[in-house]
Amino acid sequence: MVSSKKEWVGYYLFLAPAFIIFVVFIFGPMIYSFILSFFEYNMMTINEAKFVGFNNFKSLLANKQFLAACKNTLIYTLTTVPIMLVLGFLIASLINSKYVRYKSTYKICYYIPYVSSMVAVAQVFSLIFNASTNGTANQILTKLGLEPIGWLSTSKWAMVIVIILGIWKQLGYVIIIYIGGLLAVPGEVYESASLDPISPFTLARKITLPLIRPTTIFLLVTETINGFQVFTPVQILTDGGPGYSTTTLVTLLYDKGFKEYKMGIASAISLILFLVLLILSIIQNKIGDRE
Amino acid sequence: MNQKVKDFLRSFLINLPLIIGAIIMLAPLLWMLSTALKPNSFVASTSIIPKEITFENFIKAWEFPRVFNPDVTMGTFILNSLFVTIVITVFGIIIDSMAGYVLARKRFPGRNLFLYTALATMMVPFYVTLVPEYLIVVKFGWINTYIVQIVPFLASGMGIYLFRNHFMSIPIELEECAKIDGASDLRIYTSIMLPIAKPVVATMAIFKGMWSWNQYIWPLVINKIELKPIQLGLTMFKGLNVTQWGYLCAAMTIAILPLIILFISMQRHFIGDLTAGSVKG
Repeated sequence: MVSSKKEWVGYYLFLAPAFIIFVVFIFGPMIYSFILSFFEYNMMTINEAKFVGFNNFKSLLANKQFLAACKNTLIYTLTTVPIMLVLGFLIASLINSKYVRYKSTYKICYYIPYVSSMVAVAQVFSLIFNASTNGTANQILTKLGLEPIGWLSTSKWAMVIVIILGIWKQLGYVIIIYIGGLLAVPGEVYESASLDPISPFTLARKITLPLIRPTTIFLLVTETINGFQVFTPVQILTDGGPGYSTTTLVTLLYDKGFKEYKMGIASAISLILFLVLLILSIIQNKIGDRE
Repeated sequence: MNQKVKDFLRSFLINLPLIIGAIIMLAPLLWMLSTALKPNSFVASTSIIPKEITFENFIKAWEFPRVFNPDVTMGTFILNSLFVTIVITVFGIIIDSMAGYVLARKRFPGRNLFLYTALATMMVPFYVTLVPEYLIVVKFGWINTYIVQIVPFLASGMGIYLFRNHFMSIPIELEECAKIDGASDLRIYTSIMLPIAKPVVATMAIFKGMWSWNQYIWPLVINKIELKPIQLGLTMFKGLNVTQWGYLCAAMTIAILPLIILFISMQRHFIGDLTAGSVKG
């Protein structure tokens, strides 16, 4: 369709609302954040931002809290993602089996945590794993004749519980995506495979897994990106504690920005986070193109 | 062994782990419901089926925010969230589909630039722009308003992209006929294109609705209790002592249950759309 200049005005009007929002609330802040990360700017004490070059980044790299946040974010991501993918694939394959009759009932059960709000379920978890003897888990331990555990108030257990919550909440989504991937595998593949006497494990390894590789890669990358941004469960369960044992990149970003009002340092953290996620997105696109 | 016994054993062995898994997935939520229904003196008991059922916790939880402000109840938070969610969903879908329509159908200078900009927004994680976005809304004087909870989320790159793809798959003849009949672009968009895009509208309604209802970190910048959305309201119940765990669980149940009921009644759309939207290749 050839269109005149007069018509272009109409098109731009159609696009305007979306792109004004993008510029003001995404790209503007992106650039602003990049600039701010080279400034010292405390909203509470000074009005003028002071240029400090790479000082924010230097002080972050020397900061124990930041290093702990990097480590914890990595631990969280590297444990939740593989466990979720393996469990998700196994459960999806089981639900997909012809011996299972009530498929949608199972799907609903596994999916319910995913639709529940993180704020609410995290608070329920904090009650179950309460450090006091009144906590549900400790009540059960006592009944079994075992010693109660300090759960969320010990650095060893706090991270484990954050991880359990992360997996529990997200698993339903992984299962549903895997079921979608499995349904896309043509039935003939299995029919011809069933003519040969091979075990279900060989079938999964040799036929199913290679066929649903795109699904696995999609989940691997999106869940890794999600993992790097973990915030709500940590903030509600432990608020980063005890000590820095569960601080993650985003909780640190939030604390620096909105508790200490150190906007420069917070921007530096967000820039580092952005670069990591950008690299992950590029990897996804590269692999996606090749598939 | 005959075939029937074999089949029964197989189905038992496959269903057993699934049932155990489902129980684990539902246990924390059932525990929450059971604690909410127990009288407070029984909160510390470990039995999942309450011996005595009471709705007192729900009433107490509903009224609990009055401690902070006598005019505020759980209802205030729910209405705030409903309002924000509905506005974001309705206007967001209109804005996304308008942009998607023009990008799918029209030729004009800068079209590709607009398209790539929309795609690029999907690469920017929300947390990365959190700090400067906050500084910007402070400059606008939007803190402690509904506007701040709504406007930044009215457009989404994903929505524009999905609408564009859907519109491109619609035969162009349909529009040309309308054009010959003298319909304007706006008319074509409202009476032909938007009704045709129903599946994308449903997908985006679910995404935007779920996302807005569960929003948490951004509204943390709102200090005024009367304007807080539900997720923020829930944090008021944090750190209650053991005798008040019943309230906490009742409040969480109030927040979660509507979404679960909505999900179960619409599960076909929920699950179908999520898979359709996200699996590529």
